[in-house]
Amino acid sequence: MAKDMSAVAGRKRKFQLFDLVNYLVFIFLGLAILVPIWKVLVDSFNAVGVYQFRLWPNRFTVDGYRTIIETQALYRPFINSVVTTLLGTLLGLVLATLGGYVLVKTDVPGRGALAYFLLFTMIFSGGMIPEYLVMKKIGLVDSMWILVFKHGMNVYNLVLMKNFFEGIPESLYEAAEIDGCSPMGIFFKIVLPLSKAALASIGLMFAVTIWNDYSTVKIYIMNPNQVNFQYKLRNMVMDGDTPTTAYKVSQSTLFNAGIISAILPFMLLYPFLQKYFVQGVNIGAVKE
Amino acid sequence: MAKEKVSKSGFKIRKKPLGLRIWNARGYYLMFLPVLIFVLIFYYWPMLGVRFAFFDYKPVGVSKFVGFKNFDKMFNGIGAKNFWTSFTNTLVLSTVKLVITTLASVIVSVFIFEMGNMIVKKVLQTVIYLPHFMSWAVVASIFSLFLSPSATGMVNNMVFNGDTSKFIYFLADKSWWRPIFYLINLWKETGWGTIIFLATLSGINPELYEAADIDGATRMQKIRYVTIPALMNTIITVLILNLAKVMNMFESVFVLYNPNVYEQSDVISTYIYRQTFANALPNYGYSTAVGLFKSLVGCVLVLICNWLSKRTRGRGII
Repeated sequence: MAKDMSAVAGRKRKFQLFDLVNYLVFIFLGLAILVPIWKVLVDSFNAVGVYQFRLWPNRFTVDGYRTIIETQALYRPFINSVVTTLLGTLLGLVLATLGGYVLVKTDVPGRGALAYFLLFTMIFSGGMIPEYLVMKKIGLVDSMWILVFKHGMNVYNLVLMKNFFEGIPESLYEAAEIDGCSPMGIFFKIVLPLSKAALASIGLMFAVTIWNDYSTVKIYIMNPNQVNFQYKLRNMVMDGDTPTTAYKVSQSTLFNAGIISAILPFMLLYPFLQKYFVQGVNIGAVKE
Repeated sequence: MAKEKVSKSGFKIRKKPLGLRIWNARGYYLMFLPVLIFVLIFYYWPMLGVRFAFFDYKPVGVSKFVGFKNFDKMFNGIGAKNFWTSFTNTLVLSTVKLVITTLASVIVSVFIFEMGNMIVKKVLQTVIYLPHFMSWAVVASIFSLFLSPSATGMVNNMVFNGDTSKFIYFLADKSWWRPIFYLINLWKETGWGTIIFLATLSGINPELYEAADIDGATRMQKIRYVTIPALMNTIITVLILNLAKVMNMFESVFVLYNPNVYEQSDVISTYIYRQTFANALPNYGYSTAVGLFKSLVGCVLVLICNWLSKRTRGRGII
């Protein structure tokens, strides 16, 4: 095996000119991605706004973050984001697993019709305005719950879940059925325990989508108590909607601290969850 | 309805009658019910609303049927120029973005694949996937600070050495907006795009490289004749899958554009948004008509891509 691997591109022992180029490319890519992020991070701890790129803040302060924590106007959007992300992910996983599970069961008459019923929504949609009018009718306009319900039903993620379930051997279902297990029983006792990795991957996709949503809020929500953190943040940085208590701290510090706060939850979790994120892409890509 | 089927072992299996099979599957139908309800409310109900495209919509009172008047206004009316601008912008921005991000992802994934040092490789992968998890709102905020024509804008200050008279307001500049838009898209999505190509590369049979070694192939020759051909199918798949979605462009433009650059940046969805939500007298019938046009073009694209996909790789995308 070791011999095999040494033959694969890039695993050769001898250091060539190509490897040097490769390291240079890696350094360039790493810097291109990290410089803008690092600049925001350093500036968020810097008491004065500077244009230079610095590795460390020259006048260290945590006032930006203190202001954010103390500002009521930002507090509510943050809580809204947490609540809608958690509930939306839960709803999304419930619907995706239920739907995906039924679609893999060969002994359900009309399964094909149900699949087409779902797939049609990927071909044609009503569009922004008819959707808005429906949401208005069911009372989701001006309410943060729209984030939960609109993202909770996601046909693409349901299909991903179905793809994953198809990999579970049929014999496991059959054995459980022979033992007299009900469809619900099989779902909870066999399918879900075997799908932890897929649940993590697809759950993360829901969570990222809901946490990061800006345009839904912009279109549907006017009430400042119902907006999410992304929306509030962007208004603060781009449209000058700065919290009134902010004058103790420079605008630059506050803006940058706001950006970091908005990405912080996922950045902290990301190193631990990267595996599941990557897996999610591959469930969609590799399976038939 | 009882059908006879020959099983693998040669025994004849008699299928149970349909009524009984439906009854036996009642548990499954019950499980599907929540999905059915959600899809009906959030996807199918809005589809009924496309009829407003043919009406003079009134929020209160009776809407009047006007036939194709809204479409006439869209294609030939006073504001038709703005509509056509948004339509061509959608196609141009989406396709250029798709092609350059895919190309960049392919090149970067080849470099990652060629990297011999596993630790360096893992670190870089972690770094370049990162921007994908940032929302467009955050990315727009980061770059508007980064590119701002103010005392704290890093790019302007470095390029023009602090000479404020030369500062460029990149995101509001007619000739700069598109290149900057593509660059920001590259920054955000190139890394994430490599995942699918790296998955393909890890599936290449090592014997191909061994054979190439025996034939005395150089590093570049191995990339040219083994690695790249192995990626071709995946490249085509990625292009087809995303081509089906080109009409959907919205949020990335929405957070980065402004009135100065509508001509270069306005896409159909942002056009619909402004016609409706940033308009003192919104004409819902007209916006719905534009939306319907967008959906129909999108629908045709999906079907074309599905056909292409079936032809090139033997299975559809839907």
